[in-house]
Amino acid sequence: MSRNLNILQAISEAMDQKMEQDGRVVLLGEDIGTNGGVFRATDGLLEKFGEDRVFDTPLAESGIVGSAIGLALGGMIPVAEIQFLAFMYPALEQVLSHAARMRFRTRGEYSLPMVIRTPYGAGIRGPELHGESVEAFFVHTPGLKVVVPSTPYDAKGLLVSAIEDPDPVIFLEPTRTYRAFREEVPEALYRVPIGKAKVVQEGRDVSIFAWGSMLQLAISTARQLQVERGYSCEIVDLRSLAPLDRDTIVASVQKTGRALIVQEAHKTAGMASELISLLNDEALVYLKAPIKRVSGFDVPVPFFSVEDDFMPTQARVKQGIVDTMLF
Amino acid sequence: MFEYKLADIGEGMHEGEIVRWLVKEGDDVLVDDPIVEVQTDKVTAELPAPVTGKIHHILAKEGAMVPVGSTLVIIADAQARPAPQLPAGPSEAMLHDDSAQPDLPVAPKPDGVVAERFTSGDRGHTAPLAKRALATPHIRYLARQMNIDIEQVEGTGRGGRVTEEDLRRFRDDLLEMSSGSVTDEKVGEALTKTPERAASPDATAHQNGRVERVALKGIRKRIADHMVKSVSTIPHVTSVDELEMDSLHGLRERLKTVAQARGVKLTFLPFFVKAIVIALREFPIMNASLDDETGDILLKHYYHIGIATDTDDGLIVPVIKDADQLTVFQLAQEIASLAMAARTGKLRLDQVTGGTFTISNVGSIGGLYATPIINHPEAAILGIHKMEPRSVVRDGVSVIRTMMNISLSFDHRLIDGATAVRFTNRIRSLLEDPDQLFLEMM
Repeated sequence: MSRNLNILQAISEAMDQKMEQDGRVVLLGEDIGTNGGVFRATDGLLEKFGEDRVFDTPLAESGIVGSAIGLALGGMIPVAEIQFLAFMYPALEQVLSHAARMRFRTRGEYSLPMVIRTPYGAGIRGPELHGESVEAFFVHTPGLKVVVPSTPYDAKGLLVSAIEDPDPVIFLEPTRTYRAFREEVPEALYRVPIGKAKVVQEGRDVSIFAWGSMLQLAISTARQLQVERGYSCEIVDLRSLAPLDRDTIVASVQKTGRALIVQEAHKTAGMASELISLLNDEALVYLKAPIKRVSGFDVPVPFFSVEDDFMPTQARVKQGIVDTMLF
Repeated sequence: MFEYKLADIGEGMHEGEIVRWLVKEGDDVLVDDPIVEVQTDKVTAELPAPVTGKIHHILAKEGAMVPVGSTLVIIADAQARPAPQLPAGPSEAMLHDDSAQPDLPVAPKPDGVVAERFTSGDRGHTAPLAKRALATPHIRYLARQMNIDIEQVEGTGRGGRVTEEDLRRFRDDLLEMSSGSVTDEKVGEALTKTPERAASPDATAHQNGRVERVALKGIRKRIADHMVKSVSTIPHVTSVDELEMDSLHGLRERLKTVAQARGVKLTFLPFFVKAIVIALREFPIMNASLDDETGDILLKHYYHIGIATDTDDGLIVPVIKDADQLTVFQLAQEIASLAMAARTGKLRLDQVTGGTFTISNVGSIGGLYATPIINHPEAAILGIHKMEPRSVVRDGVSVIRTMMNISLSFDHRLIDGATAVRFTNRIRSLLEDPDQLFLEMM
C-alpha cells in the first residue's frame, strides 16, 4: 500500500520505521525532540520512542557529531540532524578528522554506522549561511558517503539504506523541495541502494546530470526544449555523489555525445568539475561538443531574494543545452 | 528573382574560390555578360550572367571557397518582381545546413579569439598557414575509425569545423577515385599518411613550433592525388639517353633573328615538340592510353602535347592542341601564350585537359636526369634536362660537345623497354640532325 507523501514526510517515515525495527537507532540534534525539528522532520518521534531514543542537544554542532561518533563506537546507530548544512562548519573537525577516518585509523576494527542528516541548498529566502551547497567538501573526503535524494520515494529508500550502512553517511536533504511535491511512497520498508544513479528520462541528444533541487529544474527545462526545439534530453539523477555511479554516467554520454551538468554549488572545484574529469577520462572520444556546466557563482551564497540571481535558472539551463546542441 | 548557383564547371569539382566580382550590387547585367571569376583547382573561369536583370544581392564574398550548389548571387530578372526579405545573419536553419553558409570560414560571434584565428589575414588567399583541422573528439575518433587523415578534410561546419558529413563526403570521394575496385581500408592506406601518424596527430607536438602544419589543398592537393593515382596504377619504367645538341644549337642561332623579325622568341622547346610529334606518329603506342575500366588500349590519332609548367601555385600542364598541325613558329607562339596564361592563372579548362603526351622541361632550372611521373592516363612522359658542354668521345678522340639528357618514363603495361629506346633513338636522330625535320614537313 502506498500514499502520496512529500520528501519531508518520507524522511520522517524512514526514521520512524527504522527505529521501530531496530532498537539501536537513536536521534539527536538541536530542537528535534520537543519541537519536532526545525523543519519538523522528527515531529512526534519523541512522544513515540521516548527520551532514551530521541534527544535534544545543546547548540553545539561539534558536540552533536562527536556524540554521534561515540554512540556509533558504542554499538548504537545515531542519526544526527544538523539544522542547515553551513552549521556543519563548527563540526568539521569531528566529521573530517574522526568520523571519516575511524575505519582507516583502526585498520578496519571499528566502523561508524551513523547518519548526519542536514537540509541544504538555497531557494527558501533564508538568511546568511542557510542556503549553502557545499557537498563537494564531503565528497572530497575519503571515508564518507554522500547521498542526495530528490524525490520522496528516493528520500525514504535512501535514508533506510543510509541508516543500515556500516559507514558514516552525509544525508543531504534539498530544503527547497521538502514540501514542493508529493508522490507515491510505499508504506513498507524498502531500500534504494547507495551508489546508483537513476536515468529519470531517456534521450538521444544530450545528457543532463543533476541532483537535489536541480533535478526538477532539469526536468522542466528539458520538457520545454522538447516542445520548442525537439531536443531529446536524457536526464540522470545522480542520487549518490560518493560513491559516484560512474558506469551510468559514462554510458549515458557514450550514447548522447553531449553533456550538461546543473549544479547549485559554487562553480569552482565542485561536483560538475569532477564529472567533467570523469567524462574526459572515460568518454572523450564520444564527445560532440564541450561539456557544459550551469552552476552557482564563486561568491558566498547571497541571502533573501538575491539568491534568485545566484541559483541556476531555467533560462541559464536552457541556454546551456542550446549551446551544446548547436556547438 | 534568379538564384545563380555555382555549378560543376568541369572535372567533378566540389568547390571554387571566388576570385573577383566583375559586377556590384545594383548593377544591370545582360544575359551572358561575365559577372564573376571563379577559380577551381586548376583553372580560372569567368561565369556569365544567366539572365538579364539587376544584381540584387551578392552572397559569396571575394576570396571565399564556395561549395558547388550554393548560391553565388541573386539577380532581379528583367520582369521585376518585389525582392524577398533576406535574412540579416545566419539563421539557425543555416547553422544546421552546412551548405547554406557559402562564405566560410565564419566564426561564431562570442568567440572573439576563435574568430580572429581563422579569419585573420588576407581572405583573398585560400591557403591558410599552419591550420590544424578543427573537430570535436567524436569526429576525430570517427576519422580514425574510417582511416582518414582529418587534416586533409575540408571542414564545412561552424567556424570551419569538420563535420560527420564532411568525413563521409571525403571517404566517398576516395572510393569514387578508386573506381570501387579497392577496399575501403586500402583506399585509406593509399591516401592517408601512415595510420600510426594519423592515430597520434601530436607526434611532432614536442617540437615546440618547429614543425609547421600546412593544409594540403587546392592545386597542391590536386597534384598530390593525381601523382598517387598515376604511380599506383601505372608501372613506371624510366629510360635515360643523352643527345648532342650542337647542330640544333646552330640552327636555332641562325633562325633566331628571323624569328625576332616576326616577333617570336624562338626557344628549343618548339623543336622538341616537333621532333616528339614526328616520333609519336611512328610509334602510336607512345601516344596511347589504357582504359582502366575496359582494359582496352586507346590509340589516339591526334597529338595534344602537355607542357609541364612551373607556377607559383605548383605544377600545371597546359596542353598544345593538335601540335602536329602547327609550324615551329606557331608552336613557339602557342607555348609562350600558354605559359603566360598559366603563370597568371588565366588558363581555361580546355587548355589543361585532353593531353596525349607530356613534356617536362626542367632543363632551364638544372638537374642531370629524373624519373618523371606519367600524367595519368597517358602512356609516357619525356623529361628534358640541362644543356651543357661535356667531354665526349667521337672517333676515338675526346671532344667537347653541347650535350643534353632526356628521361622517358613509360607505362610498362603497354610499352616494352626496346620500344621505348627505339622511340628515344628516333627523337635523338631528329634533334641531333635537325635537317631531317625538313623531310617531315607537311
